[in-house]
Amino acid sequence: MEKIIDIIKEYSEVSDYKISKVSTQSYELFFVHTSLETVRSTSTTDRTVTIYVDHDGKRGDSVFSVYASTTEEELRGKIELAIEKAKLVNNQSYTLPESETLDEEIYSNMSEYAPKDLAYEIAKACFAANEEQSGSINALEIFVNKISVRVVNSRGVDKQEHKYKAMVEAIPTWTENAESVELYECYNFSSFDFETVKAEIQGKMQEVKDRYFATKPAVNPTCPVVLNAPEIRELLWTLVSQLHYGTVHSHSNAFKKDDVLQTSDCDKLTVTLRGKIEGGSANALFDGDGVTLVDTKVIENGKVISYYGANRFAQYLGEKVTGNLPCIQLAKGSVSVAEMQSNPYFECVSMSGLQVDVYNDYIGGEVRLAYYFDGEKRVPLTGISISGKLSEALNHLNLSEETTTSNDYFGPKKALLGKISVI
Amino acid sequence: MAFSEFLDGKRGEIKQLIAELSPYFSYVSVLATDVKASQVMANRMNSAINEGAASECGFVVKMNDGRSFFEYSTDDIGGDKKALAQEILQSLEINPDLHKDMITANPIADDPLVQSFERPCDFDDYSPEQLIDYCKNIKDKLLAMDAHVVNAVCSLNFFTVSKLFISNDKELDQFYSWANAYATVVYKDGDKMVQAREGTYSNLMREALGGLPALLEKLVTKAKKLSTAKPIEPGVYDCITDPSITGLIAHEAFGHGVEMDQFVKDRALAKEYVGKYVASPICNMHDGAAAAFSTASYFFDDDGVLAQDTQIIKDGILVRGISDLTSASELKTSPTGNGRRQSYKRKAYARMTNTFFEKGNDKLEDMIASIKHGYMLFETNNGMEDPKNWQIQCTAEYGIEIIDGKLTDNYVAPVVMSGYVPDVLKSISMISDDFQVIGSGSCGKGYKEWVRVSDGGPALKVRVKLA
Repeated sequence: MEKIIDIIKEYSEVSDYKISKVSTQSYELFFVHTSLETVRSTSTTDRTVTIYVDHDGKRGDSVFSVYASTTEEELRGKIELAIEKAKLVNNQSYTLPESETLDEEIYSNMSEYAPKDLAYEIAKACFAANEEQSGSINALEIFVNKISVRVVNSRGVDKQEHKYKAMVEAIPTWTENAESVELYECYNFSSFDFETVKAEIQGKMQEVKDRYFATKPAVNPTCPVVLNAPEIRELLWTLVSQLHYGTVHSHSNAFKKDDVLQTSDCDKLTVTLRGKIEGGSANALFDGDGVTLVDTKVIENGKVISYYGANRFAQYLGEKVTGNLPCIQLAKGSVSVAEMQSNPYFECVSMSGLQVDVYNDYIGGEVRLAYYFDGEKRVPLTGISISGKLSEALNHLNLSEETTTSNDYFGPKKALLGKISVI
Repeated sequence: MAFSEFLDGKRGEIKQLIAELSPYFSYVSVLATDVKASQVMANRMNSAINEGAASECGFVVKMNDGRSFFEYSTDDIGGDKKALAQEILQSLEINPDLHKDMITANPIADDPLVQSFERPCDFDDYSPEQLIDYCKNIKDKLLAMDAHVVNAVCSLNFFTVSKLFISNDKELDQFYSWANAYATVVYKDGDKMVQAREGTYSNLMREALGGLPALLEKLVTKAKKLSTAKPIEPGVYDCITDPSITGLIAHEAFGHGVEMDQFVKDRALAKEYVGKYVASPICNMHDGAAAAFSTASYFFDDDGVLAQDTQIIKDGILVRGISDLTSASELKTSPTGNGRRQSYKRKAYARMTNTFFEKGNDKLEDMIASIKHGYMLFETNNGMEDPKNWQIQCTAEYGIEIIDGKLTDNYVAPVVMSGYVPDVLKSISMISDDFQVIGSGSCGKGYKEWVRVSDGGPALKVRVKLA
């Protein structure tokens, strides 16, 4: 990196520069059923250089990559081309973050394992989750990553963070009488606990068993819909994407500050974007500009109170720089899961993907497994969809008191939404 | 523009590395990639000329010794090859308890072949200044067309791919390019805000750029119509799909379901249906990098297998699937040239390329006229596969209501189509005599491993659940 900086400094037309370096060491295991099909390891470094050129009262920038193979002559050529390109870009001026240094490891117990042993322990935890003869894990992929990120700029920023991430992609399957069903599980985590991983997969094993016995209902239920943490997460990120400085600056935001998203007497959304959450898989200390992440409450009691985002668009909008915040937290609700499930409900356990369209006021999607409780008994259902108006669903919302972490989300385990049709 | 000089200069070093690893493995190959991606963009407030995120330059070594496969990805193979080989072997050690769990692989057919492939590319004919001016001009035209256009974006995404594949018996290299030009508007009428887009694509920049201006009026008109769109009344309807939605059905319904690495894992119901009717007898479906010319048209795949045209469904009967080298080895079949990686950093899987239904004999106007009440569905938003249980979800950007055999002015958005795959495919009752493959798609496997794909075909008449 120092060599790159020395060469950039030779070009007087360069007003500023930023260099990002991401080094990744990974160890990966791929199982077919319980057999080890493929073993992979990677050792890669991505270096990205941004050249800024101030011209005609404007600021232009251009980004290029530098590889291990890039020669000094090629690097000079890339810098000169980037200067030429940046001169063609006439964006409103902005400054880079200044004079901050950091070199920190985000603690994870995964640092205590050799990668091959950690991957093996994760595999053991996953396979231990299947305790029934009709159950199987037909495919299992395990990714263990050690990632180091460094951002340096011409204004004195030099920050490094070192972190661990693991991902499990598992296909729990249930087979009886030569018929078989499966569910898809993608589980991200940043600290390893054998029993936690086992419990996560065990939950999916129970769900896939239920999917096997699930039927298409003769009459579609008419009752509130329950979403679990992964779908609540999808819904929230779609909502807050409207509040990103970049979206606001491009006039593409469907919501704006002071808009009230919920007017009825229901559990109100209070959403905080954060740099880190307990056990989160996307935790970070700074963003791609090297900006220290500032936790920011964007929705409070159902009302938009703030925007968030990176350095450049924050300056354009005259807002504080929060950084590109990677984690989302939703305040807990007013009802327990037990209370929520004491009346008829339709719980979406596995979906093809929750579809949320803020422009067309839509929420819906295909449900692969649901639990329907009619007030007396709970039965698994499949072959159904949900569909409704997003604004109405948000105004008929209850959130659970119990909280959980799911990937980059921390908040209520379950949400109960009214005014959504099961079809 | 031509094949990467950097990769060309690495042939000797790659062969040295293969020689160092060959005592340990019966099969060793190296795929080297040099992808140069670019993005040029202008909107109302900003512009950009950057290298694209898809740019990469690196190496992946693939090895097999009759049991498990081993892969090592790196951006640097410089230096002493004996030391690098030892570093690779060390990094791929497994916990001793796993040795008993390794698969037994069948011998890999690695037929001798030395060949170079190159497709014409005109990107050097365009300077950054010309391209940014083009984007600004399109953006200005869109903003001037209607006061309700609150933002307009013109973006160009283009890339060149150089790949070098070397094994003990093969030495292949390829160079090709692709360009996408997009125009997007944000249209606001009262409280209703919508986004709409149009795009063009080609291996040649002049064709990608040349097609877009003619679509601008259509784009703004569409945005205006979409601002009037209402939610659809959920139900089961007779529908006509545009080529984009036809392709999405092909992709989600049967494309993922015939990726044969899913056969190995017993993840695809299709495995049990080879030779059986899975669709209406008027349906014929293909996939292959050589099946159509579009964004996923390469000369050889990331396993060094030449591109092919695989007929998946013939007259409604499932004929065969698509495979990468590893799954073909496990199934004792021939690989079909569908081994693809998101990048050199990722594993190769069996993946779709250009996936489409063949055209039929019906006129589109006759198909629309045959519907008493239904919808014509347009433009892929997203979709999700379920190869084991044959459920699909396909989301269209919008639909237009058909009443008494005529398209109306009634727009609905968004439209989520779902159902049981055989029900959807067996409901196909008419197929139009026109054909288009949309060269601007990308596809994940599960929720990761993104690769560029195209989908398409003619218009289909189907009966599906919409919500």
